[in-house]
Amino acid sequence: MLETIIVSGTIAGLFYAFIALGFNLIYGVSGMVNMAHGVLVMIGAYIYGLLFLMYFPDWRAIPDWKIPDPSIPFLIIILSCIIVMVIGTAFYRLALHYILGNEVSILIASICGCIIIGRALNIYLAQAGFAMYNTQLFSLHPPINPEWTRISIPGIYTTSERVSTSTILAVEVALACFAILAVFITKTKTGRAMKALSQDLEAAILMGINAEKLFMLTTALSSFFACLAGIFYFSSLVGLSGSVAPWSWLECLGYSFAVVILGGLGSLKGTVLSGLIIGYVQYYLLNARIISTDLGNAVPFAIIALMLLIRPKGLFGKRVEME
Amino acid sequence: MPLDIVTRYARKAYTNFATHIYDSPSRMLALLGLLVLIVLPYGGFTLNNVDTVFVYASLMAILAASWDLLVGRTGQISLGHAIFYGFGSYSVAFLYKYVGWPYWITIPLSMLAGAGIALIAGIPSLRLKGPYLAMVTMALPLVAQGVLVQYRDILGGDAGIKGIPMIFSLKDFGGDNGNYYRAYYYAAFAFMVVSVIIIYKLATSKTGIVFISILDDELSSKACGINVTKYKLMSFVVSGLFGALSGSLAVYLRFGSAMFTDFEFVNFSFTPILVTIIGGIGTIYGPIVGVYLYSVLANYIFGKVLNIEKMFPYNIGGYAKALIFAIVVLFFVVKWPRGIARAIVDKLEDLQEPREIEEIEKKKAKKAKKG
Repeated sequence: MLETIIVSGTIAGLFYAFIALGFNLIYGVSGMVNMAHGVLVMIGAYIYGLLFLMYFPDWRAIPDWKIPDPSIPFLIIILSCIIVMVIGTAFYRLALHYILGNEVSILIASICGCIIIGRALNIYLAQAGFAMYNTQLFSLHPPINPEWTRISIPGIYTTSERVSTSTILAVEVALACFAILAVFITKTKTGRAMKALSQDLEAAILMGINAEKLFMLTTALSSFFACLAGIFYFSSLVGLSGSVAPWSWLECLGYSFAVVILGGLGSLKGTVLSGLIIGYVQYYLLNARIISTDLGNAVPFAIIALMLLIRPKGLFGKRVEME
Repeated sequence: MPLDIVTRYARKAYTNFATHIYDSPSRMLALLGLLVLIVLPYGGFTLNNVDTVFVYASLMAILAASWDLLVGRTGQISLGHAIFYGFGSYSVAFLYKYVGWPYWITIPLSMLAGAGIALIAGIPSLRLKGPYLAMVTMALPLVAQGVLVQYRDILGGDAGIKGIPMIFSLKDFGGDNGNYYRAYYYAAFAFMVVSVIIIYKLATSKTGIVFISILDDELSSKACGINVTKYKLMSFVVSGLFGALSGSLAVYLRFGSAMFTDFEFVNFSFTPILVTIIGGIGTIYGPIVGVYLYSVLANYIFGKVLNIEKMFPYNIGGYAKALIFAIVVLFFVVKWPRGIARAIVDKLEDLQEPREIEEIEKKKAKKAKKG
């Protein structure tokens, strides 16, 4: 059981951190709580699935279907990332940009964004023939041909838990994204400017940083991470292939909030660690049969509540706006 | 002498009317609106729409006004007002089904239950602000739905609790459909007017001013010796009270059942926000204007004129309606955060000002002549 908890908990935890990455980035840099992040994660997975279906219309009908050309899924991923980046940035530029700094307005506007994007997706799917809301659940093929393997340290230990190769790829992508973001924030000039903005907005502007441009860039980056996270999370969480549903955005938003509250604001280390903690706690509770599978998605909310009672600052945060 | 008393009260009422209402164009407009809504059921609209347009509008007005008191006046953002609505309807249905109590006991009890759940929901609000509180409140209806599914055999799961008798039956009116619908209309309308007046009075009283001070600057209000904890919880409790009233009335006046979808996000958490933003956040009367605009637009324009639900298959019309109204709200939030009702009232008061100044100048001139 311990092995299951460690393997599944690590994978799930890295996924949660990956989902929350863009949310934490934009929150840390611009102080803007983008509630539309969850819907961006979801829509990334949907766009990937729809484009995949466009290239390979009959993959779902054939059991044990294999991707004939391994390069196409990656082109699809790049394309869907671009689309989601355009959607996220356009939403920021057309709406959130004008009310920056007004917390209640930002919340309400981004909730409107959620509903607009979500309902537009519903309409598109209904038009395309996925008729009812409940049947708009969409199965996704991972970007590579998945096979069962076991994680092993060669010659020393092999786990009894089976893991899909697509899940391992997703974890690798997540780790690569964390590394890229860490290098980008600490080493490049733009990244340092972002960090400066998050530390002191006015001083940074006085030092000649173009805040408008950087907020746009941050939004684009955050949408990019949202899309990648959505594709890999939904296509390979359980078993060999996953699925995404029209109500998944709430789950993503819940995990993002839980990770940010647990790990603190604007801290990459905190994001990864708190994601892992949530993953371990969740899989411990699920495996020890303390909670049923239905309540698995309630774990982040319970953690939020507990965390706020014990240590409202978060584990590693510099400043979370709470008493 | 009774006649004496009558004339005295009549005179008093007239003076009140002349000083408080007749002089203020916005209040005259409100009175006009009220009169229109009172005579409306005798006008030319089809009575079959009473339920979906006007009873719905009344109930949603109560919910939206309670949301406005909590968010617009106290600044504690809640994105899960459906919890109060659903809790109200489920407590009524539960009490009827297992204890068999009639509506005049269950409605007050459901209000108390709503206040209780609001107290529980309000406790995080003491430590949380802004987005964090929004997230926690947003999760509450989901938790409630989880509980409903978990205790399926008692609470009915996603089928809800059905078969609660409505307040009026067709027999009471001798089979007269018109009076039957009018009874529902007036019942919902009376509840709406009374609860909105209570909320408005609270919001403009001394307590309401304390609420606004918490909205403006919580730390300063604390420094001024205000018991912030008490007032924050109070705002939550009043809001929950009226939210639950709205939900319980929905059982008795609209559906006759408590439904799983009472906890749904778009219908009962987002619609109060929508109508409040359209009307004007933080005004209490704004949501009322917003809710009538919304329900008439959504039902007559989209339902009757465009017939959007029939025009498209697979509920595309329903999705499109939500999409369009979300865009409208986004427009209001970004470009016109004052809202329609507040804009109208401000305009009318601007009109009023020069006249007052003229009158004052006339009085001064008279005094000068006398002197």
